[in-house]
Amino acid sequence: MHFLVLSVNYAYIYTFLTNSTMTDKSIILCRYRPLKQLLTFDVFDDGFNGWMEIMPNFCNGPDFEQSPSILSKDQWMPMMLSTSTYRYPGSHGSMSGQYSLKVSTRPVANRYEMMPAPGSMAHGIKRISFVRPDVHYLQFETWFAYTAEQDKCDNGGELPGLHENSIRAFGFGFDLQHGGNRYHCGTRYLNSVNGKLVKKWQFAYPWAKDDREWAYDTEGDWCRKGVDPYWFGKRFPDGRHQAFLDVPDGHQELCYNETDCKINWQYFRLLLDVKDWKYVEMQCQDRTFDLGGQPIHPSVPYHRIDGLMNPLCWVENDTNRRSFLYLDSVIVSQE
Amino acid sequence: MRMFNASHLEVKKYFTEDFQTQPYEAGWASEVIFFIMVEEISGEKPCLQARVQISHDGVNWCDEGTVSDPITSKGLHFIRVSHFGNYLRLDCRVAGESPSFKLNIQIACKE
Repeated sequence: MHFLVLSVNYAYIYTFLTNSTMTDKSIILCRYRPLKQLLTFDVFDDGFNGWMEIMPNFCNGPDFEQSPSILSKDQWMPMMLSTSTYRYPGSHGSMSGQYSLKVSTRPVANRYEMMPAPGSMAHGIKRISFVRPDVHYLQFETWFAYTAEQDKCDNGGELPGLHENSIRAFGFGFDLQHGGNRYHCGTRYLNSVNGKLVKKWQFAYPWAKDDREWAYDTEGDWCRKGVDPYWFGKRFPDGRHQAFLDVPDGHQELCYNETDCKINWQYFRLLLDVKDWKYVEMQCQDRTFDLGGQPIHPSVPYHRIDGLMNPLCWVENDTNRRSFLYLDSVIVSQE
Repeated sequence: MRMFNASHLEVKKYFTEDFQTQPYEAGWASEVIFFIMVEEISGEKPCLQARVQISHDGVNWCDEGTVSDPITSKGLHFIRVSHFGNYLRLDCRVAGESPSFKLNIQIACKE
């Protein structure tokens, strides 16, 4: 499917807006192309809207300990409501007001081909669930911006105070469980690999041979092949990652402004077929990428979570400098 | 109805020397409480003291002036602050002989 033309249920949107305390949401909605039914319409000038960080599961004894795994998420930073405030200009604000959702890392990193350093990645998630048995399409849309921390000038280089290549990657997608399968699906912008700018889109698809290889050759780790693709799956110095495949013709120069303290809000959209479990298309800025019906990998189901629908986003460092991903607003819709 | 949000800054982490929490943007809130939960403590006369720091950019920091009482026992402790700009963090000093603290630190913001 190349360019899906989708109708909008305006009656539903009118009802939604007239029940809202934010009358200018109609203006914000004009920036989006939602499917017929809106599931969430989150503007972070209003608050967190249920978006939060992902943490370990504290279910073990004797005192709420973590489940054993090679991955601990206890260093992943919390979400913030951000004014995008920097050293020289002060506050940048958001696209729809003053506040956006900020996803921030800690200032640590390993080389690309190693396991990500604890805290070098951060992850925002909202937890909802499927509502209709006949849903065919599911879509994630957001207006986002990204930058690296303007902490100090590096040694050497033409612009040692510009840190674009400190951001390794960021992405958007879903964690889903439906009909007895778990699905992690999404696309990421691979920006920098060990300091070299790459600037291409990739979609999540696990090509490790089994659970063991998926978990960096760890036998019996709790994580199953396909789950948590932003972290799991081996990586290689040339930029390959067992969790992702390249989007065809997926190179794109996004807008990274002249200094780390200038951010530009950019549009992202990902459309999925959740009836036949295929990627349909993604859009960033004014470019739409055909995802060619690439399959979404079914992972083994986890206990107690059938019906789970978690939209999510993440960002990762390429150097020991904080990376910031900002979301002005998010719409998740279906039909 | 008032706006409130709590976020973890550290969770079940052991500290044996001085440290600072990560920068947190709290400009939307007019009052903040840092909750410091000591799950485990060991060493000879272990003592932790936290001081609030503020920043205009999240990179450069100075003391705000609020300092916690010396923390020398397990259980829940807190430190509050109500006049700040945007970025907040705690600068924590760990003293004693071979001190070790297992901490949960949470920031509770209210407008």
